[in-house]
Parts: sequence; C-alpha cells; structure tokens
Amino acid sequence: MATDLRISNISKIYPGCIANDNVSLQFKSGKIYALLGENGAGKSTLVKILSGVISPDNGEVFLNEKNLKLSSPLDAKKNKIGMVFQHFNLFETLSVFENLSIDATEDNKSLRVRINEILKKYNFSIDLDVPVLNLSAGQKQKVEIIRCLLRSPKVLIMDEPTSVLTEQETEELFISLKKFCDEGILIIYITHKLKEVLSLCDEVAVMRKGKVVSVSQTQNEKVETLANKMVGQKLGKIKKKIKISKNKDEIFKVKHLNFYSDDPFETNLVNLNFSVKKGECLGIAGISGNGQNELFQILSGEIITPNTSIIFRNKEIAKLNPKQRREYLMAFSPEDRISQAAVPELKIYENVALNNFKSSNFFEKGLVNERKIKEHSKKILSDFSVNTDNVELKSQFLSGGNLQKLILGRELITAPELLICYNPTWGLDVGAINYIHETLIKINDQEKSTILISTDTEELLKLSDRIAVIYKGKLSKIMPSDEVTPEKLGILMGGGSID
Amino acid sequence: MSLDISFIGILIGSIMASSVPLILAASGELITERSGVLNLGVEGMMIIGAISGFALMVITDNLFIAIIVSMLSGVIISLIFGFLTQSLLTNHVATGLALTIFGIGLSAMLGRDFVGIPGKDFPILFSSLRESIPFFGPILFGHSIVLYFAFALPFLTNYFLKNTKLGLIVRAVGDSPVSASNQGINVIMVRYCCILYGGGMCGLAGAYLSLIYTPQWIENMTAGRGWIALALVVFATWSPIKVLIGAIIFGGISILQLHMQAVGFRIPVQFLIALPYLMTIIVLVVISRDSRKIKLNTPTSLGRIFYKEK
Repeated sequence: MATDLRISNISKIYPGCIANDNVSLQFKSGKIYALLGENGAGKSTLVKILSGVISPDNGEVFLNEKNLKLSSPLDAKKNKIGMVFQHFNLFETLSVFENLSIDATEDNKSLRVRINEILKKYNFSIDLDVPVLNLSAGQKQKVEIIRCLLRSPKVLIMDEPTSVLTEQETEELFISLKKFCDEGILIIYITHKLKEVLSLCDEVAVMRKGKVVSVSQTQNEKVETLANKMVGQKLGKIKKKIKISKNKDEIFKVKHLNFYSDDPFETNLVNLNFSVKKGECLGIAGISGNGQNELFQILSGEIITPNTSIIFRNKEIAKLNPKQRREYLMAFSPEDRISQAAVPELKIYENVALNNFKSSNFFEKGLVNERKIKEHSKKILSDFSVNTDNVELKSQFLSGGNLQKLILGRELITAPELLICYNPTWGLDVGAINYIHETLIKINDQEKSTILISTDTEELLKLSDRIAVIYKGKLSKIMPSDEVTPEKLGILMGGGSID
Repeated sequence: MSLDISFIGILIGSIMASSVPLILAASGELITERSGVLNLGVEGMMIIGAISGFALMVITDNLFIAIIVSMLSGVIISLIFGFLTQSLLTNHVATGLALTIFGIGLSAMLGRDFVGIPGKDFPILFSSLRESIPFFGPILFGHSIVLYFAFALPFLTNYFLKNTKLGLIVRAVGDSPVSASNQGINVIMVRYCCILYGGGMCGLAGAYLSLIYTPQWIENMTAGRGWIALALVVFATWSPIKVLIGAIIFGGISILQLHMQAVGFRIPVQFLIALPYLMTIIVLVVISRDSRKIKLNTPTSLGRIFYKEK
C-alpha cells in the first residue's frame, strides 16, 4: 500500500530561536527524500517532531490523510514511523539482542527468528549476543535499522546517518536504503552532505533557518545549486595556487618514524620519512584507520617513539611533549573536536586557557588571570567569526563548525610556524568548510606551513601543494598535487600502485 | 575455646544472621542504582524502618504488621527522595545525604518513648531440626523467615535483572535514559519504582535489626550498616551475587573479630575492628577485577539527572 506523509504548518519555537517556522512538506512512498540544511537549520527539530520526541507548538502531521497525534515516541512507533537518530539510541552495555527485544511484544524465540530473517535478507552480519559497545559505528547503525524494520515501518527517517560511517559502510547503507525504498518504505534522509543527496535521493527539500526554502527533483540539481540554496548566498569557489618551490627551506623534517603497538586496534607505522617546506601544505591522504591517528599523535608528541628524528626549525624535538612542541610554535588540531581538541563541559574561555603558553600570561603565581583569558578569547571569537561573542558559553553548545573555528583560532592566534590538522572539516556544513579552507590557505600565503591529514580527497586536492598517501602504516612517495588526480589517489589509498 | 564442630555451626549461623541487614539493604539499593539513581539515603531509610517497625510492634503487638509498616515507611521516605530527584530534578548525592541525616534525626525523636522497652521473640522456623542435626542444623534451620528471604534475594535479583523483561528495562534505563525515553519507556516512572523498591528493602533491613537481630530500640542502632551496604554495591560492581559474598564476608569477619577480641589475641583491637572493612574491600576488589565485566554491569547514567525534552 502506498504511503503518503504530509506535514502541515509545523512551528516550534525555543527561547531565542525559531527552530521550525511554518514548515509544510509532502512525501510519498517509493521515493527517497532528502532534507538538506546546514547545522542548526531545523532539520533535527523537524524529525524529532515526526518521531514524537518533542511536540510542535503548532501544525499537524498526516499519514495517509489520518491526522497523527505524536505526543511520545510510542505514538510514532504505533503509527509505523521508524527513526534512526544521528546519536544512536542504543544501550551500550546491553547485548544486541537485548537492545532489540526491549520494546518487542513477542517472545524471545520468535523475535530471534525474525531478526535472523532480516539479517539474512539484507545481508547484515552482526553477532546478536555481544554487547553493543563492542560494535563498530556501522554495525550499531544496522542494529538501529533492524530495530525499525522489526516493526515493519511505513516511514523510515535517517538523521545524518553517514557522519560516523566509513566510505565502505556508507555504500552498504545506500544499497540497503534503496532496497527498503523498493519494498515500499518511504525514506526521509536528513543530511548536509550534498553529494549524498545527488547520488541517493529522488527529491530534495532544502531548509534554512527553520524554513523550507526549496523543494525540487535532484536530477535538476547540481552540487553548486544545492550549496547556494543551503547557505543562502553564492559561495566563492576556492582554488589554491599550487607552488612547488625547490629552493625553500625545509622547516620540518621527519626521519625513521616507526611505531609498533600490541593493541590490535592500532596500526603500526613503518619507516616514515618526509619533510615540509616553509609556506607549504603537505597533504596526507588515506582511508581512515591506516595509521593517521597514530601519525597525528606522534607528530603532536602525544606518543613518543624511540629512534625517530623530528627536526623542527633546526631543533630536534622528537622527545618533546605537546606543550613543549607548542612552545616551539607548532600547533595542532586533532580529529575529534569534542573529546580531543576541547572539553565540552568547559566554557569557551576556559577551553582557550587550556592552550596556554609562558608568553600568554594566562596564569600568574598559580592564579588564573580571568580577565586576560577572556580578552584573548573575545579576540579569537571575532577574528575567526565564531557565531557568538559570549565567552562564558559552554563549548558543548557550539555547533561543530563554530567549535572547529574556535579551535583553529585558539591554535592560530599564537602565529605558529606549522599547523598539523587531522580531518579539520569532518562533519561540518558547506559554509563552515569553506571558511576553514580559506583559513588554511591564508596560513600558507603567510609563509607558514601546514600538514593536512585528511580522508577527504577533494579537500586534499584543493589545499595541498604536495600529497602522499598512507596505506597500512606505510607512506607512498610524495607527489606534487598538480600531478595527482582523484583516480590516482584512489588507487594508492586502496593499496594499489600507479607506477 | 573449644573449636568443636557444633560450635562452628552455631558461629556460621550467627554470621549469616549478622549479614542479613546488609544483604537486604544492598540488594534494594542495587536495583535503585541499576536504574541510574544514586540514593545515599540507605542509612536513613534503614533507621526509619527500624523505629517504625519496633514502634508498631509495641503498639499493636503484631509482628506481621510491624514488618509491613517498616517496609512501608521505607517506601514513604524514599518517595521523598524520588519526588525531589525525579520530579524536581535535585542532585542525587545531596538529596541522599539529606535523607540520611533526616532519617537519623526523625528516628531519634520518634524513638524517645521506646528506649528500654524489651522486644518480642520473633518466630523461628524449623527450630526442632536445628537441635537435632549437628553442624548443619544451626546453619540451615532455626532462623526467621526474613533471613531465608534475604539469602534468596540476591539470586532473585540476579534472575530479575538478567532474565525478565522488567529487569531489562531497568538496566536499559540505567544505561541510557535518553535512549530509553526515545524508545517510549517512561524513565521517570521506572526510576520511581526502583527507588521505592530500594526504600522498601532498606525499611525491611532496619526492621530486621530492631525486631529480630537485637529486638529492642537503641538510638542510631543501624550504626553505619547503611553505608556499608552502599559500599558493597559499588565494590561488588553492581552484581547481586557478589553483594551476597561481600555481605557474608563483612558479617563473618565482624563476628570473628569479636571472638578474637574475647579470646585475647595479641592484635590491637583497633585493627580487629577495622578488619571487616579491609577484608571486604580486598576480596571484592579481587573478585571483580575483570574491567570488561565492570563496564557491562555499571549503570552508565548513575547519579545523573534526567529530564525529558519537550
């Protein structure tokens, strides 16, 4: 039976912010719909309303012309609306089976049979009796999907499902979603990734500042047109002039970098040698899990490896810890903004103070010089166009883009000679990505160097002067980026050879 | 001291009796904590249970009513905690501490008229078997029904948590209240129930002290047992069976060190008094070393305030 979901004049107002402003949309089964928008555009609020987690101030939801009253998640479930949240709603310490059985109405035996049928049908391989905390992000998402499928849903809503997935897992997800769609499930796909919209979805609704600004067929759209609708202005195209300068000084030189670990979840690094010139951006490409984490930690001084030589500005720094390396004017922006780069529970200015220097005078005789830190933080907020001027705000309330700007600002305001960043635009929306990219290019223009470790090939080709690929802990030869194509990188990232 | 076989039997019997209040209170608190609520008011709830049970026994002369009322008073006092922490979203730790102080004060006030009144003999089961079977008699028989219940409770609790739907829901709520709520589970309701159950068990533990173990009312007669029960839950890493083991070790060494003092071992008394605490911690830490298991048993949301999005 065909499903028809209609949202009519939904509004939701929070103090100081209109999350949804008179939103009306219509969806029909047999298609995959994209709901596109930047962080904070109101997509998540809308899907929370659809799944009964929060109730709207105004407006109605109709499923097959029946007016739905969604005042709790149970109502959504009863009406066959399934929802996979961005932050998984799983019980980490319970087993997969326990997670699935918690809201089941049937007995465990027949439930297990049904789960196994679903596993087989969609080619999922998950051990039902291990605790969820042992699963990878992709597997956790499959558990969430199975939980929805068990209730034979008419509508399946996916909230930014690929933000935690590897490329391989993303492909698998898309295959499954297309299968669900063929089986008549109406799929609403929430994302800020433009390419996913174009490759997966049939129709796209763009949201901005709580309003639906456009609804269109994806075949009539291109990445650029969607981006402009999403951001609400024309985005300048960023192109960097690649400069290959043979005679410039090498500011950073790594020799014999080896890393061996007993932990099966870590990757060993085998004899890495490379150098970075003044004003240059060295890109390091690779599929995640090929040693990037370990490399970043060694370069930042979190891990000290024996027999490695790291020369920075003519000094041997291989034995120095991150704080000492910062004193020599290195700066770091780790991949995980929330847990590695910033402390989410701390206020903005406290997070700024974490990165203190002898010269910054944040602390005097063991006491905190709050006024000075706050002044300094205000400068970072305005210089790096973070969307707030309240330094007392807890960092967890910043969106990903603003938090990344704050972190970059914190690192860059000391005018470092070398910035090492790892996936700096991970999970950010187009506007923020653009800003970060511009900032990184500006650094190079000021004759400062960067090392960009990234899993995003496009980003690497856009920003790097030279590129190397890391695969299973080994580094390929370093190539000037005007000689590199995405195809070449793809081959190297997959472990192939291009010679 | 004659260490004959029947003496050891009697000794084990008395060790079992002394561990009953710990098992009851800790098993109750374990369920509360498994739902993510940290109630530090165990001592307060126990002592309220102790005085209300004893008072009702004196007034009605009916032990059954006394036991029921002691449990009810534990439930009522925990309801205060539940209302404050779940409905008014106060801090668990502060509220629990207040509950203990309140309970000790209130019990002292209510108990003024009951000091010095002798208790009543609590009926014991299978008393003839206790005398006729050597060694095992005093261990297995001649106890109150509450003791049998207490020793069954950790196993029932374990079964409840591992094998029943409701137990699964309690664990889920303790793991992630937000996810549970998004799955349509009424988190506040589940937590209220667990808090009230914990209160009831603490009330019963108090009644065991004032009606059965030392049948009389003495001010502050729980003497820190509530705190021991709390510590047992944590050191037993939220496993009911380990709570039982810990309670028996604590009870056992408390009794043994009394005997050692009486015999006059050349060990400082202070050390002997500290011994039960020390040994219980050491044993529980040693049997709960598996960090993976700890992670799986620990209620992730313990002590955190949950409020529903609107």
